[in-house]
Amino acid sequence: MTTPNDMAGEGFLAHEPHLRGEVAFRLLVDAVQDYAIFLLSTEGTVLTWNRGAERIKGYSADEIVGQHFSVFYTPDEREAGRPMSLLGSAAEHGRFEDEGWRVRKDGSWFWADVIVTALRDEAGAPYAYAKITRDLTERRASEERQAELLAERRARAAAEEALRARDRFLSIASHELKTPIANLRLSSASLLHVRESGHLDEGRLRAGLARIQTASERLGVLVAELLDITRLTAGVLPIHLGRTDIVAVATDVIERFAEADMGSRIRLHAPPQAVVEADASRVDQVLTNLIDNALKFSEPPAEVDVSIVEVPGAVDLTVNDRGMGIDDITATRMFEAFGRGEAVEHVPGMGLGLHISQQIVARHGGSITAAQRTDGPGATFTVRLPHAVTA
Amino acid sequence: VTARGRILVVEDDESLRETLAEVLADDGHDVRVAADGEAALDALHVWAPDLILLDLMMPKMDGFAFREAQRGVEEARPPKILLLSAAHAVESAADELQADAWLVKPFGLADVLRAVDELLAAPD
Repeated sequence: MTTPNDMAGEGFLAHEPHLRGEVAFRLLVDAVQDYAIFLLSTEGTVLTWNRGAERIKGYSADEIVGQHFSVFYTPDEREAGRPMSLLGSAAEHGRFEDEGWRVRKDGSWFWADVIVTALRDEAGAPYAYAKITRDLTERRASEERQAELLAERRARAAAEEALRARDRFLSIASHELKTPIANLRLSSASLLHVRESGHLDEGRLRAGLARIQTASERLGVLVAELLDITRLTAGVLPIHLGRTDIVAVATDVIERFAEADMGSRIRLHAPPQAVVEADASRVDQVLTNLIDNALKFSEPPAEVDVSIVEVPGAVDLTVNDRGMGIDDITATRMFEAFGRGEAVEHVPGMGLGLHISQQIVARHGGSITAAQRTDGPGATFTVRLPHAVTA
Repeated sequence: VTARGRILVVEDDESLRETLAEVLADDGHDVRVAADGEAALDALHVWAPDLILLDLMMPKMDGFAFREAQRGVEEARPPKILLLSAAHAVESAADELQADAWLVKPFGLADVLRAVDELLAAPD
């Protein structure tokens, strides 16, 4: 508790002798309008009252002196024994500060900052409590407005970012879809044209058909991705669980790359088998996507290593490439829909593959992570599939 | 037989690039191809085309970056530019690139041949 001398200054009081001591202090306290300053007995009875208390709480001194201070609290807090526990804390620690709703005489609530100080006798036992209360309702309201404004601004930024992501996706998707369509139109029209002019030889026919095949396969992949993402968004992507040997799935996938003349760079390191509960075709899809990325982002003859390892309760499927690698930010963003790293913006594809893979792995109760390779340049993708899916 | 025009096709999709080269060659043009802006710039140093078919979204150097670099190459007769794009904003892109014309993907054979003929016949 502050003494009057501290408040007004020794020098000032020396020239104003009639303002010394108790009287000066009482006048000072009484004149304070912005703070409710009053004393409580150890039982919680109001002993003194000042103008600030009257202004903030609405009671005159006549009305409140002698009453128990629990009338300042909300019914819930009274019920919970909060008023007396506050005095207990002040007795224990000497001083206790609290913020919360308090009740005025007219029943209205205000947001209060309260400091309770225990006044102790020479033996250290409290003989009264000094309570200083400030009305912070307006400040709290303005803080709430600030918080609301901030939240609003954040929400707007997020919505704008979502719009930008959508625009980016539309632009990438339309480029990706329309290029093979242009190719189909041109190739077929050109074959027809050459045939009509009578110059269609075997080589020309083969080349034209091969391009039509490539373009239609590409379109097939893109449309499947778009369907997957649509079904994932709607929460209806079907997963058919069964006993699945990951090694057999990986062998199939790698064989398929070999058939497309892209198998010579892929190495498989695996035990004879590694069985988990999974949807074999979805695991195939995830691994195909990871290997496809690894090949796309690293130049031949760099090898792509696929490893399958049993770990406690799960199987780890790892794909290592020797590509540009990934920084930490990209490693977390790349699994978001349309979350491609800026460095790969122009690599073919819609940037949905990793997002779809992550969602599929999550549906299996597993995880997928990406990191910089530890043994030199390149990236590492690890899919962990638990032995059993627990819903 | 002299070629009707010298055309550089800059397109990252291999299949579309080869198809474009084929149909343009069929139509009597001398055609070269490049898979991205960098390769196209290299081609320009040894060969001066009358017309460049330019894709916008490409790896390494995209259509915008290529155009910026290409304008720096001294030419007696600068080549015409035919922009190929799937973007809905192709018109503003064409404007920004100062392209002479544009084709929106997916375009048909007749669209390509007509646009090429018009550009080659147009005065500089």
